[in-house]
Amino acid sequence: MSVKYTPVQWNNNKWIYDAIMLAGVGLFLYIFLYAAPGILSHERPINPQVHNARAFGACAFVMMTVILCIGPLARLDERFLPLLYNRRHFGVMTVFVAITHASYIVDWYFAFSMSNKYEALLFANTSYGQLKGFPFEAFGIFALAVLIILAATSHDFWMKFLSPPVWKRIHYLIYPAYLAVVAHVSLGILQDQQNHAFTWLFAGGALTVGVLHLLAALKERARDQALSVAGADWIDVAGVDEFEDGFAKVRLLPDGDRVAVYLMDGKLSAISNACAHQNGPLGEGRVIDCLVTCPWHGFQYDVRSGRSPAPFTEMVPTYNLRLQGQTVQVDPKANPPGTPVDPIAIPQGAVT
Amino acid sequence: MSDKHPPFFVGYLPIPQGLKQWLLLVSALLVAGMAGFGLVMGIAQDDPGPGAFRFDYGRQTVTGVVELTPYPLVRVTEGNERIAPGTTLMLSGQGKSNVDARAIPLEGQLAQVSGIVLQRGTLNMLQLRGGRNGMSAVEGAAPAQSSKPLGRWKLAGEICDGKCLAGAMRPGTGLAHKACANLCLIGGVPPVFVSSKPVDGSEFLLVTGPDGTELPKSLYDQVGEYITIEGEVERRGDLLVFSVDPTTVGEPE
Repeated sequence: MSVKYTPVQWNNNKWIYDAIMLAGVGLFLYIFLYAAPGILSHERPINPQVHNARAFGACAFVMMTVILCIGPLARLDERFLPLLYNRRHFGVMTVFVAITHASYIVDWYFAFSMSNKYEALLFANTSYGQLKGFPFEAFGIFALAVLIILAATSHDFWMKFLSPPVWKRIHYLIYPAYLAVVAHVSLGILQDQQNHAFTWLFAGGALTVGVLHLLAALKERARDQALSVAGADWIDVAGVDEFEDGFAKVRLLPDGDRVAVYLMDGKLSAISNACAHQNGPLGEGRVIDCLVTCPWHGFQYDVRSGRSPAPFTEMVPTYNLRLQGQTVQVDPKANPPGTPVDPIAIPQGAVT
Repeated sequence: MSDKHPPFFVGYLPIPQGLKQWLLLVSALLVAGMAGFGLVMGIAQDDPGPGAFRFDYGRQTVTGVVELTPYPLVRVTEGNERIAPGTTLMLSGQGKSNVDARAIPLEGQLAQVSGIVLQRGTLNMLQLRGGRNGMSAVEGAAPAQSSKPLGRWKLAGEICDGKCLAGAMRPGTGLAHKACANLCLIGGVPPVFVSSKPVDGSEFLLVTGPDGTELPKSLYDQVGEYITIEGEVERRGDLLVFSVDPTTVGEPE
């Protein structure tokens, strides 16, 4: 949680996360740049600038692929959630790797002419009317621009400044950017490959991203169908004996929002399922130190008011509950974020 | 906490015991996977070919007759131990530039040229030094140079720029290199056709437009692409010149 913006709120896990990711990136580049050439039996080596550009470009693609796999993996198996926690750092690393790739390309292929190299990047190939020979650099420029925007706005300051919904929409641009990278590679280097090992790895990576997102979407759709209820003034959530202290039951409301109904110390309270930080699923979190804790980044809320503990200021909507016999019901009309609601006690002996 | 719930990770708290082994495994797989991808992608790169700047030869200076195709050539008449008489050198300036301003006034005359050789198979190019140090008139009558028409050909292959192909860039061909090649051609570097089958012993042909014109800009869209095209082939020394008809461009069957 944040009340004061610092460049990075470091903790041990972030250091470990970054060290592991840097080790992976470092090894990829070291092996590609220094180990692989010794294995290649070329009469003359590939130009160092081209070799470097390929190494950093391939690395950026693998990094983007890993980043885009983390989200659906965490939705399919919550043991992957720790990979989600500090993903933005990996994203920022990716931007630096991608910029290095672009720099080598621009300083090699587009340099040494009478024209400005950045202008040359735009006018050297203008065959936009054909697939073969299409200026695939345009896709790379788009993807790099998006990555830079995403990295520049990745800090929580920008999320607060832009508001989470706007920030989230901007950051969904990672998907068009990834598609642009796929087009960039497919219409570029893949057109010239004689050895198809890279082609297979590239296609496998892109396919993995697609399949994981599809599987996660199918799982969420099935869960949404199980959670969905017909429109009514009050909506059944669950029987009182189905609640477990410190955990939530989630229901999908007619307006598409989700409510998380928590049992804490024998009393029930309901808050929005969407964390104010990045829309993380609060109902999949749990109560720690009397506070509902988001499973994505650990933002916390008092379940009775939807407010983060002072000095933090995040707030989520609350909902009104009632008991109808042994059934807990929720009023689908949300209270404004941070509205305190008295918890309702459930009969003793009903808690598991 | 109930046993049915897996360990709960909170970023700013210590990692739960139940997750430590799992995260170690995932971390190891991730790092090993990145290393493996680096290796496989690194060794999957194609041979860029034998072309190269021959810096190992040092600066070469020879004398010959300047011809325009319209791209400038030097037909070597007085060579050295590296460049034999009878060799035809394509010429380029530094980077992606031409030497037209120096070569056109010397057309048909004897000139001394000096620079660094680029070589790929039968293809020879000289990157000239700057100014008169790179190209200057030589006293004396220029010996007559013969050329031999080889008739009309339909060839399959790729148009690229002669300098990158000859070794300025490795690789210097293909669609991934198209923008770079176009930039060279815009700069007046001689274009070369890389034929899928040798013509009179050579797979590389200097390519021009019809009737002694520069390569038509309409063909820039086909640079780097595998195409068929028809034109007249002519031998000038050890270099073939392919004067193409842009209306005949097509796709190989």
